Amino acid sequence: MEAMLNLFVSTRGSGKMMKEFLLNTGSTIEEGRLAKGGSKLTEDYTQECAVCEMNPGDFQDLGSPQKVKITSRDGRYSVAAYAHPEESIQSGQVFMPRAIWSNVVVDPETFSTGSPLYKGSPVQIEPTKEDVLSAEELVLKLYVRS
Amino acid sequence: MAFKNIICPVCGASCDDIQVELRGSKIVTKNACKMGNAKFWEIFSPHRIREPLLKESGSFCTALWDEAVDRAAMILVKAKRPLIFMGSETSCEAMQVGLHLAEFLGAIADSNSTVCHGPTAMGIQEAGRVGATAGQSKSRSDLVVYWGSNPLESMPRHMSRYGVYPRGYWTRRGRFDRTVITVDPRKSITARNSDLHIQLKPNTDYELLSALLTLLHGKKPHPSVEKVTGVSISEMEEMLERMLGCNFGAIYVGLGIASSFGKHRNAEAALNLVKELNNHTKFVIGALRGHCNVAGFNQIASYLYGYPFGLDFARGYPRYNPGEYTAVDVLREQDVDAALIVSADLVSHFPAACARYLAELPVACIDIAPCPTTMISQVVLPGVIDAMECDGTFYRLDDVPVYFQPFTGSPFSFTDSNEDTMKQIFQKVKEMKR
Ligand code: SF4
Repeated sequence: MEAMLNLFVSTRGSGKMMKEFLLNTGSTIEEGRLAKGGSKLTEDYTQECAVCEMNPGDFQDLGSPQKVKITSRDGRYSVAAYAHPEESIQSGQVFMPRAIWSNVVVDPETFSTGSPLYKGSPVQIEPTKEDVLSAEELVLKLYVRS
Repeated sequence: MAFKNIICPVCGASCDDIQVELRGSKIVTKNACKMGNAKFWEIFSPHRIREPLLKESGSFCTALWDEAVDRAAMILVKAKRPLIFMGSETSCEAMQVGLHLAEFLGAIADSNSTVCHGPTAMGIQEAGRVGATAGQSKSRSDLVVYWGSNPLESMPRHMSRYGVYPRGYWTRRGRFDRTVITVDPRKSITARNSDLHIQLKPNTDYELLSALLTLLHGKKPHPSVEKVTGVSISEMEEMLERMLGCNFGAIYVGLGIASSFGKHRNAEAALNLVKELNNHTKFVIGALRGHCNVAGFNQIASYLYGYPFGLDFARGYPRYNPGEYTAVDVLREQDVDAALIVSADLVSHFPAACARYLAELPVACIDIAPCPTTMISQVVLPGVIDAMECDGTFYRLDDVPVYFQPFTGSPFSFTDSNEDTMKQIFQKVKEMKR
């Protein structure tokens, strides 16, 4: 696990920077207020939860992007979110409110416990120009097969 | 009309001091936090699901109740291996019907408690637990450790009602009589309000707990632990010194323990640390359960069938093997072929591989508001809000059962509660199987 979690930086053919982080997901009071108030399909919920908080140093290293694309370790799933620099987060880690956006990239392995890696999933992050989708758009794009 | 001592059905704190005033179609609450308030307002919210919905050719249309119950039952009866998923914001009584239904169908029964503190429950199976009720901790604890938890955002009134600020018999000065330690990789708002913040690296809880145990045994941990955990040995010593110096310590573990690498072994290590601390002073440990009745499912499933979560009835008797019969795993491995989901939003809160497969299955759900899970369902049955519109039982975060009474009735003529809806589905299933 230690080897797998090491931070690495790589550049792709496009010249865009991609970094590996450990994703921490968790509650925020506003996420709780909106989710419990039945507002998961609203713009307010998207603005609160489709967010990736990172250390200001990492944020700068990525070119201070407005939005980032977060990709799961296996590369199968990715999601765009608004990037926010946040002093409370250590370098090499990112925080996303627990919601549909973060769970797209959470590692589904449960290590024989039934509970996935909501905290500490390795993810790759790069700046993006992709649109940040609403929960509804995300379900239609990623989950519902026409 | 004003009502007192109403129980909030939102998080594991199960606050029992909510005051509610109904003014026509408006509701005013006192004492509830932001999250609680938002749920109370759901009673009259415009987006509330008030009619049964059936999906026809990809879009929803309203349906008669009996027709929708029939369709939900049909989904279950036709399946070879259905999943019955009981969310946490519903009563133990509804969960009990769900478990019996799973047994009858030979289905898998699981709940939010698995993805919440399932690993903690497994840790308890390994190591046992020295626990206390929230009231005992309130009266006695002079040191509180929030390990991998951020109660100010996940259980907003925990600190003010049970953990840190309330004045108890032996903690008369409230916060001034208590030391607060937070162990969290992030400088969360709870960490900022603590006396000591141990900022460990993610996925290193087990190593930090082991190092504390080593120090407790009077030995020095290997210096490499500093690099692994990001915490210096002197910080660990300071933390342990404060823990040993208290009269009654309470550790509240959150998903930082249960959801990160190490899982149940993290929980087991924390439970063992607490056992050993009791050789020196009084220490207890409990899970900070973010969802209302997650503790309830563990209790009900354990006393009815012997296992706390992830039960497989395929052979007619309950089997338990976390990682094999648990909801995330059966969905990831595509090992179920239909689902009934009660008061839970799996599409939002399960990893993508699981949500994607779920969206391919015939799914019936019971919910109060539109969400990603209602979007992918074929049948949506309107939910009744427990503790507001019907009575029942929740288990609080400390496993104390709390009986709740409603301040208004079910808004529907066709069902009194989620328990009632589950019974109607069960009845239909029996008729169809006959
Ligand atoms: S702390 Fe939890 S139980 Fe108490 S009012 Fe807030 S949401 Fe409700």
